[in-house]
Amino acid sequence: MIIPLEHVLLFSLILFAIGMVGVLTRRNAIGILISIELLLNAVNVNLVCFSRVSEDPMAGQMFAFFVIALAAAAAAVGLAIVVAIYRTRNTVQTDEIQLLKW
Amino acid sequence: MTTVESLSHFAPEIVLLVGAVGVLFSDLVFRDKRLIGYSALGVIVVSLILIKALSVSEPLSLFGDFFLLDKLTQLFRVAALAIVGIAILLSLVYSPLSKLYMGEYYALLLFSAFGLILMSAATNLLMIFLAIEFVSLISYVLVGFLKADKFSKEASLKYLLFGSVCSAFMLYGMSLLYGLTGTLKVTEMSTALASAQQPSLVLTALVMIFAGLGFKISMAPFHMWAPDVYEGAPTPVTAFLTVGPKALGFVVLIRVLSGAFTPFFDNWTPLILVLSMITMTVGNVIALSQTNIKRLIAYSSIAQAGYILMGIATFTDLGIQAVLVYAVVYAFTNLGLFVVVVATSEKVGSDEIKDYAGLARRSPLLAGSMLVFFLSLAGIPPLAGFIGKYLVFAAVIKEGYYVLAVVAALNSVVAAAYYFKVIKTVYLQPPRDEDALPCPWPLRIALGITLAGTILLGVMPNDLIEFVQSILPLS
Amino acid sequence: MTSHILSYIIFTPLIGILVIAFLPKGQGEKAKWIALATTLAVGLLTLVAFSQFQLIGEYQMVEEAEWIPQFGVQYIVGTDGISFPMVFLTALMSILACVASFGIKERQKEYFVFYLLLETGMLGTFLSLDLFLFYVFWEVVLVPMYFLIGIWGGPRREYAAIKFFLYTLAGSLFMLLGILAVYFGSTPNTFDLRVIAEQDFTLRFQQWVFMAFFLGFAIKVPIFPFHTWLPDAHVEAPTPVSVILAAVLLKMGTYGLLRFNYMLFPDAAHWFQPAMFVLAVVGIVYGGFVALAQTDFKKMVAYSSVSHMGFVLLGLAALNEVGLRGAMVQMFTHGTITGGLFLLVGVLYDRAHTRDMTHFGGLSGQVPVYAGILIFFSMASLGLPGLSGFIGEFMVLLGGFEVRPIFTGVACLGIILAASYLLYMIQRILLGPLNEKWSELTDINGREIATLVPLMVLVVLIGVYPSVLIEYVAPTLDKLNMLLNPPDTLLSSVGGAP
Repeated sequence: MIIPLEHVLLFSLILFAIGMVGVLTRRNAIGILISIELLLNAVNVNLVCFSRVSEDPMAGQMFAFFVIALAAAAAAVGLAIVVAIYRTRNTVQTDEIQLLKW
Repeated sequence: MTTVESLSHFAPEIVLLVGAVGVLFSDLVFRDKRLIGYSALGVIVVSLILIKALSVSEPLSLFGDFFLLDKLTQLFRVAALAIVGIAILLSLVYSPLSKLYMGEYYALLLFSAFGLILMSAATNLLMIFLAIEFVSLISYVLVGFLKADKFSKEASLKYLLFGSVCSAFMLYGMSLLYGLTGTLKVTEMSTALASAQQPSLVLTALVMIFAGLGFKISMAPFHMWAPDVYEGAPTPVTAFLTVGPKALGFVVLIRVLSGAFTPFFDNWTPLILVLSMITMTVGNVIALSQTNIKRLIAYSSIAQAGYILMGIATFTDLGIQAVLVYAVVYAFTNLGLFVVVVATSEKVGSDEIKDYAGLARRSPLLAGSMLVFFLSLAGIPPLAGFIGKYLVFAAVIKEGYYVLAVVAALNSVVAAAYYFKVIKTVYLQPPRDEDALPCPWPLRIALGITLAGTILLGVMPNDLIEFVQSILPLS
Repeated sequence: MTSHILSYIIFTPLIGILVIAFLPKGQGEKAKWIALATTLAVGLLTLVAFSQFQLIGEYQMVEEAEWIPQFGVQYIVGTDGISFPMVFLTALMSILACVASFGIKERQKEYFVFYLLLETGMLGTFLSLDLFLFYVFWEVVLVPMYFLIGIWGGPRREYAAIKFFLYTLAGSLFMLLGILAVYFGSTPNTFDLRVIAEQDFTLRFQQWVFMAFFLGFAIKVPIFPFHTWLPDAHVEAPTPVSVILAAVLLKMGTYGLLRFNYMLFPDAAHWFQPAMFVLAVVGIVYGGFVALAQTDFKKMVAYSSVSHMGFVLLGLAALNEVGLRGAMVQMFTHGTITGGLFLLVGVLYDRAHTRDMTHFGGLSGQVPVYAGILIFFSMASLGLPGLSGFIGEFMVLLGGFEVRPIFTGVACLGIILAASYLLYMIQRILLGPLNEKWSELTDINGREIATLVPLMVLVVLIGVYPSVLIEYVAPTLDKLNMLLNPPDTLLSSVGGAP
């Protein structure tokens, strides 16, 4: 192994953490979507890394492909909704999209 | 079983898929948009017939272990189709759904039925993830379907953002599981996990998977999306969401927990116990102050998820039976409640509880049905909800979790308080105006099915219980 | 030989409900006749069962069927000396209250549907021998009561109805937990009362389950401090519903104590005895004092119920032969007497539209027949010898005195208090100068008298010849007494501290 397993895992963990921070602190809806993409890519790194050392490498890489596809789909749907909101509310800041309350 | 051989057993789902595509394109053909809805209904009926015709006695593993056709799947296949069928019936009547895009709407509902069936049959991490995401993505779109309604779009955005984050968590947990065991098959994981060097990593994976699944079943603290989404979505979609993904989410939870995490029983049982108590309490207490009926039902269904979690917390044979029976019973009851809500909001034009005043005079049928459904949710015999409640209580007491039982009992009283707040408005207060409330025929069919289920399963639950008992022991 | 008479008794009201439900719109008037016919039919069936009733200690007319075998739940109904008087009382009071319900003018169809459903629930509760079935019928009683109070009641009816409902629901949910504990604690797991009665539970287990059941029943009786729903419910409920509430529903609580707490958990019953004494005496005295302070006629009778049910508890607390018999007698007679008193309250309220006793005065000249009947029932309630109220109270005090003489002495205060508030009531309403307002008051009419006469007959009959009632309850109670006081421990239960 050129790069030790632990390093890759740590990397994906950091990526995941950055994504989480992004989701929690960003107010721009598109920014949150980007952070979600970051989360999913962190998982991808994890999967590919594990597939290197597992008995069923195909499974991990196949899973990663599907995650990529699904991340794209989720992004598409998310952006569509954001656009629909933008058309009428003229904003993508989540703290201004707060009609539904307690 | 190879792909080609599997196809014959997969016929109902294939019909569903083809039908969904067909419905999508039928929008170009039909002038009268209601025909699209009828054809969607027809697809469901054909699928149900095929399921009945093709029922198998032995568990089958289709598509190379990606689709497990056992008794659990059988039960929830039918349940998923029935739930979507009733949602279609509700949509036929619900007027805010615009006349455009009806093809897409019904097609999406049918696709989500397909996704729910996949959820019930998934024993493979990849399949679980795909099925959950499939249903979720469709739900995000369905929630935001009323493009003119700003509540609808806002709910949709919140749902998507929250849901995607929870799914990402679940995915991370799944990747950890894959790393620890080297396989994606959930049923083969328990031995590998039992001998893992870092049990803390296993528990981390478990908690992260809980995040994703907990989101689907609206378990605290992942329930926060539910009230906004349920209130903002078009009512038939809300009806679908409170029941479909929730019940199927529990099925996935059972499969994952029983397949992979049984060696760690002592670790996650107390966690679920506490989460169950928090969930039911949060749901019930906040419901007390609601004035919008959809929000009230939303918080009520959060609390109901808490009761079902009691069965998961024990995870004995009796516990799992309780979860499955409660899920079925709850489906009937909640859907029935939404039939009444749709019927009333069509005439009254509002979802505020105070506008339900005097419903008993305007439509004794709807008011009486609402009473039956609320009593069932409160757990009053001889209705179906009591059977579900009884089973979870029995499971909990048998294992000696007395504190949980007492908390659940107190919660049931609190729930009865706000259910009766609505009943009081319906029965005891005079109506604003006296004209009768019509109940169009799709709603009558839906009402008939749900009422029959709620009452019959309460008085004669034998068949359901026998079937659920035959599902265990789980593969 | 299984005749299905008991099942017929329980489910006949449902037939009445079906008939009423299918009445065409606008024919709501007919509902009351159908209901009356139904209650009379139940009464007739009860008399048939009465003729078949044997004076033995065992369960009779038992019917068994499978219901939910996967849960171990069966449909078992049967009767014995404890439940049959209650069934008789229920059938009788249902008929009388139905006649009294002829005064209900709006939404009659719904009223009688709920009324008949209530009757089924009450009858089923008394006749069930399966714990699960018992719980189902117990809960069935809740919902019709909520509506009967909430729709046809007085100004604060919604509050009273929901208070009643939530209070009772809370108690019964704890009872459900107790039922489940018993189910899983029994070998083999069963809900069958007869099997459970044979089981040997540890004292610890008995104590916990006793308390769980006790909570559910204590709210119904009602036992201080769980009684706060009662005044509101009684005052706001329409007259016939108050009658049923006082005459039958309260008895469901003490019936439960006898049938479950005492029969299934005898060791725990002994353990609880001192507490039961205290609660009984507190109920008697507290109920009496508060009744004395009331100005609302109905509320006064409601608190007098708390006091009289305290006597039942005293008999139960005594845990001896005469105490238990006294408790059963008091249960039956209180039903008839207080039922009669509530009917009388209703008669006055229908005419005067007030229940404030300070507004009345000197009515004895204006409505002599009413006055006479009111005095009759008041004497019965305060325990005048010769009328049935005396029998129950005397036996209970006798039983209590054997075990704890000082407590019992304090309980005697209850009789003095009863005399006080009842005579005070009579003075305020009937005696003194006639308040001019009431010079137009009409006397009690034939229909109302018809509802009271059967009760008066029973009051005198049992007062003069009590074995008419006692011989029916004795065999079963003796059996229960043997269970509670097996011969070798007889000495330890007598002569305890005061």
